[in-house]
Amino acid sequence: MSRRVWSRLFFRNRVENSGDQVFVLSLKIVAWATVSLFAGMLVYLVYLARGAIEALGFNFLTTNDWNPPMEIFGAAPFLVGTLASSFIAIFIAAPVSIGTALFLKEVAPKRVARVVGFLVELLAAIPSVVYGLWGVLVLAPVMRDHVQPFLASWFGPGTYFAQALGHVLTGLFYPFLLIADVLGLTEVTLGTLSEKMMALAQGLFDGPPLGLGLLSAGVVLSIMITPTVTAMSREVLAIVPDSVREGALGLGATRWEMIRIALLRSSRAGLVGAVILGLGRAIGETMAVTMVIGNRNEIPKSLFEPAQTMASVIANEYNEADGLHLSSLAAVGLSLFLVSLLVNLAARGFIRWIERGTRA
Amino acid sequence: MTDSEISLRTEGLSAWFGDHHVVKSISLSVSRNDVYALIGPSGCGKSTFIRCLNRLHEEIDGARVQGDVWISGDSGSENIYAPGSDPVAIRRQVGMVFQKPNPFPGLSIFDNVVAGLRLAGVKRRSVLEEVVETSLKHAALWTEVKDKLKKPGTSLSGGQQQRLCIARALAVRPKILLMDEPTSALDPISTARIEELVMRLRSEVTVLIVTHNMQQAARISNQTAFFLMGELVESGPTSRIFTKPKDTRTEQYITGRFG
Ligand SMILES: Nc1ncnc2c1ncn2[C@@H]1O[C@H](COP(=O)(O)OP(=O)(O)O)[C@@H](O)[C@H]1O
Ligand SMILES: [Mg+2]
Repeated sequence: MSRRVWSRLFFRNRVENSGDQVFVLSLKIVAWATVSLFAGMLVYLVYLARGAIEALGFNFLTTNDWNPPMEIFGAAPFLVGTLASSFIAIFIAAPVSIGTALFLKEVAPKRVARVVGFLVELLAAIPSVVYGLWGVLVLAPVMRDHVQPFLASWFGPGTYFAQALGHVLTGLFYPFLLIADVLGLTEVTLGTLSEKMMALAQGLFDGPPLGLGLLSAGVVLSIMITPTVTAMSREVLAIVPDSVREGALGLGATRWEMIRIALLRSSRAGLVGAVILGLGRAIGETMAVTMVIGNRNEIPKSLFEPAQTMASVIANEYNEADGLHLSSLAAVGLSLFLVSLLVNLAARGFIRWIERGTRA
Repeated sequence: MTDSEISLRTEGLSAWFGDHHVVKSISLSVSRNDVYALIGPSGCGKSTFIRCLNRLHEEIDGARVQGDVWISGDSGSENIYAPGSDPVAIRRQVGMVFQKPNPFPGLSIFDNVVAGLRLAGVKRRSVLEEVVETSLKHAALWTEVKDKLKKPGTSLSGGQQQRLCIARALAVRPKILLMDEPTSALDPISTARIEELVMRLRSEVTVLIVTHNMQQAARISNQTAFFLMGELVESGPTSRIFTKPKDTRTEQYITGRFG
């Protein structure tokens, strides 16, 4: 390549000053380094996982059994564990965080907001392993003795909640069933679908309260991501100019109505972004989850049961793995990488979709 | 002037930001259907004063108000600073248009106009549609937007946004409309349209308008008050204030010697 082409490649915007040239060049190097690191990690993961990919193919993700001594490797339990624990975390953390952000930004006096805001941000500074310890020593016993029995009595098998949820889920999935049926993809009938959904709903809060398990992991995760989601939500709310708030108040809006018409409508894309950022953190979190989730390589039928996430199985088994086992763990890592990527891409698409309705 | 003609009256109205006393014991009365201009140099407390008239000033951290503001409604005269008086109810009778157009982002033109009505609990689609049309016609915006009511309010030009905000304020049929330099962020053509609009509005609503543009005050108002450093220096018919001011400071200001 000629010198001109080279220089065009690196200095697309012509920069006269030589100090500036060095500066721009170093920025470009850093930017490209990030991209190559990303690509390199992906390639290396695929390389490590090639054994599992060749031996198992796509079945790897759908096989519901992980049994290293028998050389059976299916990642479905971990996929379910990761998604379930992360969604429990979001289910709790999203309303709490957005509520906290609204309180700090719109309701609390400035001094209170500063102190409480600082405390919430401090939560982010606590090391993961400390959350894990707290989960094992404090949260798990409380969950076992109080929360889980309470949940079981209100939402457990035989309750109206479980009954209703079963019907709702059947209704939700019925359209998919119809489509799959038309395409000839499934043998499932409405009867069996309803049975399955009922079993799912009845089982959700079933079983002995163990303390350690999926639900506790979700709770710990929710606390861990709350500072991130709260801080992001506060930033998002800060973008809305005060003049818009005053416009609402001037129309005779109460504080809550002001939040509803002047803030939530205009910031929903940003708030969804904040929540997805938290979701991303929850999906990848390892240490605390590994300590609290109970580490059982099966798809849990109840939120009370122990489970395993993609991150936690790697942390648990990496040390003593070799051969196909090791390469399967790498494949789990690759899947985790891809799931995180997918969540982020989906989030971007979703935010853009919301923004289309918001802006001109 | 009989009491029934008075639309708004302040008595010893003072306002503070923390220890900073910015509005100093102002007493002033505004008659029904006046267009009342408030003029004075920047920082003299015009905005603060007008924001006391719908109890918006107190929303700022550390802000405080003293004195009385009487507004006349269907059931006689009411002091908006009487103990137990509800600021939310007051703000539904006293509309406000701000310096910077502030349509609600994320809301369509339609939803912006009816935001106040919805707050008041009006849900009937036919009623809302009618109010949107009359309010936008009032605000001289209807012909420009009638085919794109579902578009976001923020997609309009600055001048259109300001007229949208006026329509939004008018939609709840306030008795009094407060306008804080409503044209200072706009181009001359938009400014002219809003001035025309204000002059037409006076048959239905009492207008208090802050302006630092004296030609504007002279063009559209029938009463003018001159503020200086938080005090009311002089008030009276606009023509007299501009031709025969009693106070030398007023004269200096309107002849452009300070401010
Ligand atoms: N939010 C605020 N906090 C503290 N001081 C303020 C605030 N807004 C205005 N002030 C002060 O109050 C005084 C009056 O301001 P303002 O009412 O906005 O004047 P005007 O509208 O006549 O230009 C000024 O000295 C200004 O610095
Ligand atoms: Mg002002």
